[in-house]
Amino acid sequence: MPNVLNWVGERLPVSGEQFRELTNEPVPYHLKRWWFALGGTPAYLFVVQIATGILLAFYYEAAPATAYESVRYITHEASFGWFIRSVHKWAATLMIAAVILHQMRVYFTGAYRKPREINWMVGMLLLICTLMVGFTGYSLVYEQLSFWGATVGANIADTVPVVGGFIKNMMLAGETYNVRTLSRFFVLHAAVLPVAMVMLIALHVMIIRLQGVTEFKFEDEGKGVPKTFNFFPDHLYTELIMGLLLMILLSALATIFPAAMGPPADPLTTPEVIKPEWFFYVAFRWLKLFTGTAAVLSMGFIVFVMFGWPFIDSWIRRKTRFQEASVWIGIFGVLAIIGLTVWEAVVRH
Amino acid sequence: MATDERDPADSSEDGPDRRKFLATASTTAMAAGLTGGYGAFGLIAGRFLYPARPDERQWQFVAETGRFETGDSLLYRGPSGETINVVRQGNAGGAEDFIALSSTCPHLGCQVAWEAQNDRYFCPCHNGTFDARGLGTGGPPGDAGMELPRYPLKVDGGLLFIEVPVDQLADKTGEILDTRSVRPPAGEPLGIHGPGHDPCLACDGQSRFDRKA
Amino acid sequence: MTLETKRIIIAVLGGLFLLSLVFVQWLETARRAEEAGLRAPHVSVPANSKDCVDCHVQANPGIIHHWRGSTHAEKGVGCVECHQAQDEEADAYLHYGQTIATVVTPRDCSRCHTIEGEQFAASHHAKAGNILASLDNFLAETVEGARLSFNPHSPTPGKAVDMVNGFASAFSGCQQCHGSKVALQSTDGGMITTDELKPDADGIPTDLDAVGKVVRDENGRPLFHPGTWPNTGIGRLNLDGSRGSCSACHSRHDFSPRRARQPENCGKCHLGPDHPQKEIYEESKHGAAFRDLKDDMNLDARDWVLGEDYSAAPTCATCHMSGNLRNGGEVTHDPGERISWTNRPPVSLVMDTDINHAIVKETDPEKRRALIHDSAEDKRNRMKDVCSHCHTPDYVNSFYHQYDDLVVLYNEKFAKPGRMIMAELVSQGIRTKTQFDEEIEWTWFYLWHHEGRRARHGASMMAPDYTHWHGMYEVAERFYMELVPQALEMADHAAETGKQSQARAVRQVVADILARPEHAWFEGGAEGEMAKIREEMEKRYGQGKEGP
Repeated sequence: MPNVLNWVGERLPVSGEQFRELTNEPVPYHLKRWWFALGGTPAYLFVVQIATGILLAFYYEAAPATAYESVRYITHEASFGWFIRSVHKWAATLMIAAVILHQMRVYFTGAYRKPREINWMVGMLLLICTLMVGFTGYSLVYEQLSFWGATVGANIADTVPVVGGFIKNMMLAGETYNVRTLSRFFVLHAAVLPVAMVMLIALHVMIIRLQGVTEFKFEDEGKGVPKTFNFFPDHLYTELIMGLLLMILLSALATIFPAAMGPPADPLTTPEVIKPEWFFYVAFRWLKLFTGTAAVLSMGFIVFVMFGWPFIDSWIRRKTRFQEASVWIGIFGVLAIIGLTVWEAVVRH
Repeated sequence: MATDERDPADSSEDGPDRRKFLATASTTAMAAGLTGGYGAFGLIAGRFLYPARPDERQWQFVAETGRFETGDSLLYRGPSGETINVVRQGNAGGAEDFIALSSTCPHLGCQVAWEAQNDRYFCPCHNGTFDARGLGTGGPPGDAGMELPRYPLKVDGGLLFIEVPVDQLADKTGEILDTRSVRPPAGEPLGIHGPGHDPCLACDGQSRFDRKA
Repeated sequence: MTLETKRIIIAVLGGLFLLSLVFVQWLETARRAEEAGLRAPHVSVPANSKDCVDCHVQANPGIIHHWRGSTHAEKGVGCVECHQAQDEEADAYLHYGQTIATVVTPRDCSRCHTIEGEQFAASHHAKAGNILASLDNFLAETVEGARLSFNPHSPTPGKAVDMVNGFASAFSGCQQCHGSKVALQSTDGGMITTDELKPDADGIPTDLDAVGKVVRDENGRPLFHPGTWPNTGIGRLNLDGSRGSCSACHSRHDFSPRRARQPENCGKCHLGPDHPQKEIYEESKHGAAFRDLKDDMNLDARDWVLGEDYSAAPTCATCHMSGNLRNGGEVTHDPGERISWTNRPPVSLVMDTDINHAIVKETDPEKRRALIHDSAEDKRNRMKDVCSHCHTPDYVNSFYHQYDDLVVLYNEKFAKPGRMIMAELVSQGIRTKTQFDEEIEWTWFYLWHHEGRRARHGASMMAPDYTHWHGMYEVAERFYMELVPQALEMADHAAETGKQSQARAVRQVVADILARPEHAWFEGGAEGEMAKIREEMEKRYGQGKEGP
């Protein structure tokens, strides 16, 4: 055994000590509070998505004639197919929820402020990527929701002035949903967006490492409490516990509420009630409140404001006396999002 | 959680042996837990990738036994595409009268043909030969003691059934490619082509007789 | 938290994760076993129906086994979901802790199947119970039976018959197809129906006196009037004010759509001498194709869309109810939506319907247009959508041409003249208003109600033998050999009894009809026609007798 270690050691000159040094970023002590680990949760779920997604891709066929049948095969015939698919679906749901919670935590603790503006924007990109992966994901099943969701999505893009038509054509590979549309969604869902997300996550983590995690001080902490503790093994254990809890939660959700299949896509009939997945309820309700281009542009504006929030916030703090304006705006934003989501959820049309 | 000890050695009142034991035991338990949980997930993933029901077999209807007389044969293609020679060799009235042999040579997968004059199956690829029971008699199959694979048959109510693999992709039923010497159900024209069949079957999946028809 | 504690927590959680995956494996194994047919599909009895199933599987195993094979069972719809009732309902009773009702009505089914319920309620099917004041009902209750109970004619050895129920023919005959007016027994010896209960919009009775009079057994279970229940007639008048019975077609307790898609299901009622739709279908190419290709019909398909799930042959449901590719797969539970003629009455009517789905009888074109809500043309186009899956437009249009011509021929040559003669007999006081007490009334009934419908239905669904030999041939014979002579005979009889002018009027009507060119052959002879026929026969068969 020592011989083998030596053999490897000669060829990969990294000692355990060095390795520990490399990974052992000091972790701020406030991370002992569990809700601060929300950033690790989406990352963990992302890994679950990659693992289950690769498994599903072994059977999935991205063409209108075969997509629904292949998902049916996965759900009803392949061994454990229903389980893998259900875990994939539930992990997606949890991931989006975790990303949103993480972002809220960062927002309300002001962790986006100087010098962390860039990482906030990287995070925003990750949020958008996550939502896009979610959207392309449920479009792949080729059930009624997939087809009409994609159609509606493309037509929303179409209302954007100047570039709308171009975006729509890029999305659908044509003026309308056609035989080449699904493979686009598949490539976006399974290759382009995940790779982009891997790079963004790497950047996100790298920036954290460069700057160090924001440190917080809580009033109930004793004087002698140090500022940091070790990543390895202490924080790793925390993350492992989180991971296992998530896995248990996922398999419970997958067995109790397995992913079902809606009616297959029918380009001739729009279902009477058509709703996207829950995380688009906000946008969907917004689009119903305002019409056409105005709705799309206002939504774009909101996203733009969210992107630039660190700068807007610092401007407010510098120029006005409302130092805590961001908290109130945040509370208003969260209430608006919850309100619109619940509104969309409870009404039929 | 806030009153955690950063260095277990500081706060522990236990002796060093006990501490060491605790550390080892908990590390082992943790490793076991992680291996058990993620290992099982890995197994499930592996099982998901392995084809579901790779060798599912089903009984398929072939023909009415009344259509066969001793010596008659037909060529049958199972639902998953394998070609099978079904021959009547006896007249006892049960499934043992019949023999169903794959027409695919076990050597390298060419299609064997029946040669009535030599009373043998002949494989054109490497001159392999088999007797009427499917045992290799010459060429590479004979040397290696290979046999043409046999398929189970049963007779139920005058109908002959064969047990063949069922592929999810394929139609759920097999088909008779070539009735040859077997008489068709009343009313159909009798198509006698003599025993033995077309080695070209493997080339394009179509029998010479089909094309003629 | 010490590192040890964390490690132990990880170990425990890892174990729990493993356990949850073992549960997953267990589910997978169960699923496999189910699929391999080693086990019946897993039907979990819904919790609130568990007691029902436990007891009734002993008492009436058939009900439970039937239900277990249903989609309802698969989806967790148990006994209580359908049989549940509100305390206020007249037929509700407490049954081992659940308030239930025996009869499940379309109102109950509509709790989930809302659209189907609405379509059905708008259909002619739902109005089939209106027969209760019709000619057919008069036949069953008065002519065949009696609207009273009467003493037996003489003793029946071995059975003590003390009273004869005059309604028996109506109960077992008419109402089993048309639907009964479901009745509870009343303490005053009468019946309590929806008329007495006066249910409100939610089906809750508003006449509490009537509810109070319901006879109940020692367990509090209300007693039904046995003539009106059991009954699955399609237009049943239920106690909650709803009309119809879903189980007329979706027989309980498996409610199989597969069965409702097959002609035998409709054949419970649509058969026999007066409307042999089932036999007509069987004679047609459509029926022959179905018998042959039944295996290709994909009858178990979920939506069963013509052109997508099957196209081997049409059944009754295919043309009149089911979805097809051209209409977007939309099913209707109103079979009248695609029917352009009604051949039910003595004279066929065009199916222009008003907002209440009643046929528009207005003759003024302007007013007519204003009243029409759904025209016969619309209905026909819906049917043509179905036809065109297998037939070209020219073929379909020409078929409708043939069909229209036959209906119009029947209407104009026999039905309208016949109706005119019958009306004249009444208005001249030669015939009584009571139906079926005079021979000519039976003659006329046979002409339109049996033979005339056979001819028209035969033409509508491509059964030539029903159109001709069972249809128009018999109509003609009935008209010339019975209706006309009987009318003249009645006129003669009237003349003998001093009604000279009245008899003259009737004779004049008959004479006017027979003088029309289409009837001229009857009295004027048709020697020229016969000569032509003889010539043709000789050419064809080499002989020239009266016929082949």
